[in-house]
Amino acid sequence: MSTVSTLVSDPASIATGTWHPPHSSRAVAARLVDIGGSLTVLSDEDDEKDKRLAWGIRSDIEISPRVGSIPRRIVFGNESVFETRDNDAVDAYLQSRGEGRSGFVHRLEIVRPRMIAFAVATVVLASTIYHYALPALVEVAVLVTPPVVPEMMSAGTLKTLDQVTLSASRLPEAKRKEITDQFEKIATHAEGGVGRYKLNFRDGGVIGPNAFALPDGNLILTDELVNLADGDTEMITAVLGHEIGHVEYKHSLRQLYRAAGVAGLVLLIAGDVGSGVQDVLTQGGGLLALSYSRSAEAQSDRRSVELMQEAGMDPTALSRFFDILETKLDDHSSTSMLSTHPGTPERKQAILDYARELRAGQGATDTHLP
Amino acid sequence: MAVVEKSYPIGESRVFQRASFTGRAAEYFGIWIVNVLLTIITLGIYSAWAKVRRNRYFYGNTALLGHTFEYHAKGKQIFIGRLIVFGLLVALNILSHVAPLAVLAIWPVMLVVFPWFLMRGLKFNARVTSYRNVRFDFVGTYGGALKAIFLGALVTIISLGLLSPVASRWFYKYIFDNLRYGDRQFSTEPRLGALYEAFVTVVAIVIAGIVILGLFSAVASGFGGNSMGRGMGSISLWHWMIVLIIPIYIIAGLYYRAAVRNIIWSAAMVDHRHQLKSDLGRRRYAWIAISNVIVTFATLGLMRPWAAVRLQRYLAEHTAIHVDGDIGVVFDQIRSTGGVISAEYLDVDGFDFGF
Repeated sequence: MSTVSTLVSDPASIATGTWHPPHSSRAVAARLVDIGGSLTVLSDEDDEKDKRLAWGIRSDIEISPRVGSIPRRIVFGNESVFETRDNDAVDAYLQSRGEGRSGFVHRLEIVRPRMIAFAVATVVLASTIYHYALPALVEVAVLVTPPVVPEMMSAGTLKTLDQVTLSASRLPEAKRKEITDQFEKIATHAEGGVGRYKLNFRDGGVIGPNAFALPDGNLILTDELVNLADGDTEMITAVLGHEIGHVEYKHSLRQLYRAAGVAGLVLLIAGDVGSGVQDVLTQGGGLLALSYSRSAEAQSDRRSVELMQEAGMDPTALSRFFDILETKLDDHSSTSMLSTHPGTPERKQAILDYARELRAGQGATDTHLP
Repeated sequence: MAVVEKSYPIGESRVFQRASFTGRAAEYFGIWIVNVLLTIITLGIYSAWAKVRRNRYFYGNTALLGHTFEYHAKGKQIFIGRLIVFGLLVALNILSHVAPLAVLAIWPVMLVVFPWFLMRGLKFNARVTSYRNVRFDFVGTYGGALKAIFLGALVTIISLGLLSPVASRWFYKYIFDNLRYGDRQFSTEPRLGALYEAFVTVVAIVIAGIVILGLFSAVASGFGGNSMGRGMGSISLWHWMIVLIIPIYIIAGLYYRAAVRNIIWSAAMVDHRHQLKSDLGRRRYAWIAISNVIVTFATLGLMRPWAAVRLQRYLAEHTAIHVDGDIGVVFDQIRSTGGVISAEYLDVDGFDFGF
């Protein structure tokens, strides 16, 4: 190998480091040189000084992109590896060959004053996406969702509920008729008219006294709620008006897209936020969804007031439902971070306030009401 | 860059060499912020390449016996895996809203498939990791994963948690006993007694925490139960109880994680000769994990690189190896990686099995 050493003394070495034979942990102190356009690794070990260990042309050699100051790997065609910590020397060599572009991301990553701009841009972008892009995307998604989707969602949900907990209503026919008649009175004023909504009577089972809306316009009223109302059909109608509000505002679809969007946002940067932070973000997303659902409830409450008013019934009838919740179910809970619905006393007050406001507004703008 | 290596004589004449982490918060900040920024700008596409750069930085700065680790996965590989997993999750999500009962039927299938995902994920992560130019590998079978996860969960549930240390032991034995470094084998024989000790400690922490909370709430309702006024009834007190119980669980969970890591690693050997060791301080580990989350949130995430580097440094510095004689030259036979889909599934679901 003495011929090699004469060849090598001339070219300047690019970097020093260690060389590993293919698939072996054996490490040889070595240096990287460029001999006539081919990259060559020469041994620096005393007993085999300047022995040629590996060589190849640039196109057969993979040079790992630079990340921070971790060692650079130069992988030859035979899968032997030259490792060096002299990142700058490797970059300078690549630069001299006109390959500077490959280090673009690394140059962005070098800590410089412009990092402050990056940080600000990131925070601004993230919060812009959350505050504007996400709601906008939700609206677009709701707009382009074909009606068949809520229909399928609802059909599946109703079927599941019927199998799991609901059973046929045991209310007398006359009672059901009375409620249906009043319900149709307010439904005529709702978006889409009476045909858009269908009232279903069910025995609630474990669900108990409840009323809920499916996104396709199916409303479910449990016998237990009717019994709880104790003959106050107007109040039940007000509750159903609230449910109509959920359908009109497409709350369930919105909430679904919103939850998906928030989850997507968390996932997007999840890899770089750490598992603890990711957990908190996911849980926090859940809390935000709850706060969204509270505003949806308030919106539907107001819709109930409007519908009752338009149908010529007591617009504050819904507040009587909250009275019952307070007295019969002893629910005095106030709004908290952990609840889906606003606190009962607050909701009651908001309904009374809104009904008063509507009446006042009606006096002023009487002209466009028949 | 010099790698600091301290030697700590332990017991008789065993000399353990500690691992070290040379990453710096300032340097990682640059990598991290560019990762996040490019990920946002590219609507998430860059996140696959970001993962590669992040892992290369952390692996490349983790040094043991003067040599660092290297992460070899390619961004494109990970991106394709993520696309497939994302597609599956979207399909599953749509299905769960269209036909909730059908999803119930999918669950058993998922349970059967999950151990396979875990096994492939471990294999992928091992195979894209190298140390001194020699790759790791994972040779666990589906049957082994089935026992480690399925049977482990079953035993835990049936025994109301009392056998969970047994399940932990199965799980970690599955991981370590099937791990290879080139042609060398890993193995671990954790003592069940030690795992039970950790388990009992954690249960004691939870019970003590709940008792203290119970006393506190009893005192609070005794003193001011009536003065709370309307709208602040018993339900809000329960809310507070729940909010306060969560930190107790978090602390207990962190204690358990640190204790189990110590037990498993300290019972592990490479090539049946070289002893591994982990000596995390449980309180210190819990403190670092919790304060990291707090600091990260307090700074709108901007201190996350500092937190990540801090935790990694602590973990590395409390991991050590005692080399018995000479490691010698190790060879590997790995030629391809494959299985990135399952690795990504684990990633998406928040699992992280790092080395």
